[in-house]
Amino acid sequence: MSATIQAQDSEPALLVETSHDLPLVSVSVAFRRGALDDPEGGEGSVRLLGRLMRRSAAGRSAEQNDALIEGMGGGLGADVTHSTIVFHGSVIARSLDRFGELLVDAIARPSLPDEELGRLQRETLAELSETLDDDRSLARRWFRKTVFSGHPYARSAAGTRKGVQGATIERLRGLYERLICRNNLVIALSGDVTPERAARFAESIASALPPGVAIPDETPEPTLAAGRHLLFVDKPERTQTQILIGGLGTHASDPDHIALAVANTAFGGTFTARLMQEVRVKRGWSYGAYSSLPIDRRRQAFSMWTFPKAADTAACIKLELEMLEAFRRTGLKKSELSWAKRYLIRSHAFAIDTAAKRVGMKLDSNLYELPAGYYEGYLDALQAVTLEQANRAVSERLSDENLRITVVGTDAVVGNDVRSAIERLADSTTVRYDED
Amino acid sequence: MSNRAARLAAINEKAPEFGAVSHLETVQFGPRLHIDRFALKNGLEILACEDRTAPVVAFHTWFRVGSRHEREGKTGLAHLFEHLMFNEVEGRASGEFDRLLEEAGAESNASTWLDWTQYNIAIPKEKLGLVVGLEAERMSRLVLREPQVTSEKEVVANERRFRVDDDVEGAVSELLWATAFDRHAYRWPTIGWMKDIEGFTTDDCAAFYRTYYAPNNATIIVVGDYSEGALLEKISKAYGHIGPSALPVEDYQAEPPQTSERKREVKKPTPTEKLAIGYHAPALGDFDHLALSLLVDVLFGGRASRVHQRLVRQKELAADVRASVGPFRDPGLFEIYASAREGHRAEELLTELDAELQLACEKPVTDEELQRARARTELGLLSGLETAEGKASTIGFYETVLGRPAAAFERLDAVRRLGPSDLLRAARRYFNASSRSIVLVRAELGAASDKAAE
Repeated sequence: MSATIQAQDSEPALLVETSHDLPLVSVSVAFRRGALDDPEGGEGSVRLLGRLMRRSAAGRSAEQNDALIEGMGGGLGADVTHSTIVFHGSVIARSLDRFGELLVDAIARPSLPDEELGRLQRETLAELSETLDDDRSLARRWFRKTVFSGHPYARSAAGTRKGVQGATIERLRGLYERLICRNNLVIALSGDVTPERAARFAESIASALPPGVAIPDETPEPTLAAGRHLLFVDKPERTQTQILIGGLGTHASDPDHIALAVANTAFGGTFTARLMQEVRVKRGWSYGAYSSLPIDRRRQAFSMWTFPKAADTAACIKLELEMLEAFRRTGLKKSELSWAKRYLIRSHAFAIDTAAKRVGMKLDSNLYELPAGYYEGYLDALQAVTLEQANRAVSERLSDENLRITVVGTDAVVGNDVRSAIERLADSTTVRYDED
Repeated sequence: MSNRAARLAAINEKAPEFGAVSHLETVQFGPRLHIDRFALKNGLEILACEDRTAPVVAFHTWFRVGSRHEREGKTGLAHLFEHLMFNEVEGRASGEFDRLLEEAGAESNASTWLDWTQYNIAIPKEKLGLVVGLEAERMSRLVLREPQVTSEKEVVANERRFRVDDDVEGAVSELLWATAFDRHAYRWPTIGWMKDIEGFTTDDCAAFYRTYYAPNNATIIVVGDYSEGALLEKISKAYGHIGPSALPVEDYQAEPPQTSERKREVKKPTPTEKLAIGYHAPALGDFDHLALSLLVDVLFGGRASRVHQRLVRQKELAADVRASVGPFRDPGLFEIYASAREGHRAEELLTELDAELQLACEKPVTDEELQRARARTELGLLSGLETAEGKASTIGFYETVLGRPAAAFERLDAVRRLGPSDLLRAARRYFNASSRSIVLVRAELGAASDKAAE
């Protein structure tokens, strides 16, 4: 059973998917603003706000709130992306009412104390330091910075050391006043909850918030400067490298968005796609080899991801560039298109096999302002993609000339080989892996 | 004759040599579902759990072979073999297996650990027949050729670089287990030592396949929207030609008691110091495993836990602290991993952890703490059962390690019965410094190393 209650005036949208399969309820209380509201140089402020709200619900201490949440058989996190703030959690169904009260406390009655902010800042700085151990997330962070250079999407939603250190309680309270309001609110519940009970749950949260002002997202469309640019993230003692190669990708409102998604599936979306076959199966160079096309409110990046041993890095990059060139030049074969469509259509069963996933699609649709009927018409749109559409989308949307190549590795060991392997390389920059 | 008996009689009338199916038992799986256990004449067991909440089916094959069945010099063979199982089968070219599954919309993967290897496929329900056929084929007709083995060794070597050699936590965990165990096969890593991975031959792989990949060494788990009669008929036809194997007797080596603390120190290219501690812990089937797990949740589980409060919030020494009790057939480790904040030493973490563990040995946990750990355990179990895939994993894991497919719910019932005395007993029995191993990681980069160099 599902229900969608559309926003009217200052009422929030409520999305519900009921399933009594398990005595479990998933809850998302989302706001249509996110890390793009971080002030320049203050990256990480909105994320600090979300976490501080959870910790200071109803003026209780963080210890008390943690004990309450865990004691009722619940989990609650505050996730911040560029475009959203989402308090998401799950709870054993018998505790749903108490969980709702706690959410109201976190969202409408946080005390946002200065002392706890200080502790949270120190914790967050320690976490940022820990991420330096994760080469994959380092590669993603630097790739984003280089692809979206000069655009707000280049910022890190998790924050920078400088941004986190510089956050003040006044700044966070200002963000709270501006962003946390009924007009930015979307609530989604799924699992062992009826639409009626979900409506009461949502009302208790919405009625505790001021209407506020819905702030339109005026983020500009990103652009990418011409040429192939290498960013080498230098880290000592790497036995392998993390490589991301790509440029600008797709937007859900592009007329060829679905066609490009189908083409990407055949190129690097699955185990039997071209990238995995050439890089892993034929050569054994990398445990994984994928390409991806995420979506947000503005155009996101297209990227290819591999992680070969250090000695294979240059050859792997060369191969990937050749494959991308061939993909753009000759496109997909008819058999590849048919196969990708069948895969996407049939595997869709696993995108909707739980109530949480079904409501998650509706929530994404709302938060990321996807075109009307995006998910409802998804299977028909896949079915309708022709070979000509897919290949035109590849040649028009993807570039093999305007590329950003990010490598996390040890420059002294593989840097020169990598630079030599990239034909028509416009420039190469090396940064230390622990730069902010 | 019941409907089921009639259906089985009809299937068995046409069954191949080893394909006769018998129903062994029905086991309740939570309040809403049940599991039926069937067996083929060749020893293959099938655990079937009908669940029509989505039009999909999860089909798992769990083999009772893991890295514990390897020997020195051949470590990592079970895991390498898991990779090879996605290659060529008689009559099907390399790659066809994955291509057919993906074309059908399936999600497939596999994993290997100390005690087992499992292959999981989730598929839209109308394609279940394809999965049964493909899985039966690779159980008995896999083709192993030199070029594929060579390529897959390179892939596994790269996986090892990713998970261990370039990953501080992976490398530390591997060293901790190698330090804590002297004789038992748990002392080597499931992915294998690099020199062993590089040294495998096609003959090694073929011998492993012949030895362990047999119907009487496996259990199939099916969860989802299927028809029992049609499912069993397909399985009988597909697997009924495969004869059972004479399984080798495992060269089990009991781990002698550890009588003194073992300590290792390593340098890693990381900005902060790390600490790993391993206490010898009971096997999953031991009565104390659950008590120790619940105690570890009180101490380390969630932000409200004692250790998180002390090390992360109050003392601000650690960026992160985690702990778990290994879910293994034989006694494993209660493992702690902590990452120091910049400027702090691993020894400081050790001092504070020792104080918390000592406290747990002195005073029983409070009712509130126990209640919180119970609630977290219940939430954890429920969250893992949302999909057919999650249910199949839970059933397959407990069946393979304990021989009881619904043991997850048995443990949940037992959690409600355990009291503070049980947790105190577990603390006093297992938090024994003379039977622990410690790995200290010195930071080659960053503030901690700068301080150490002064």
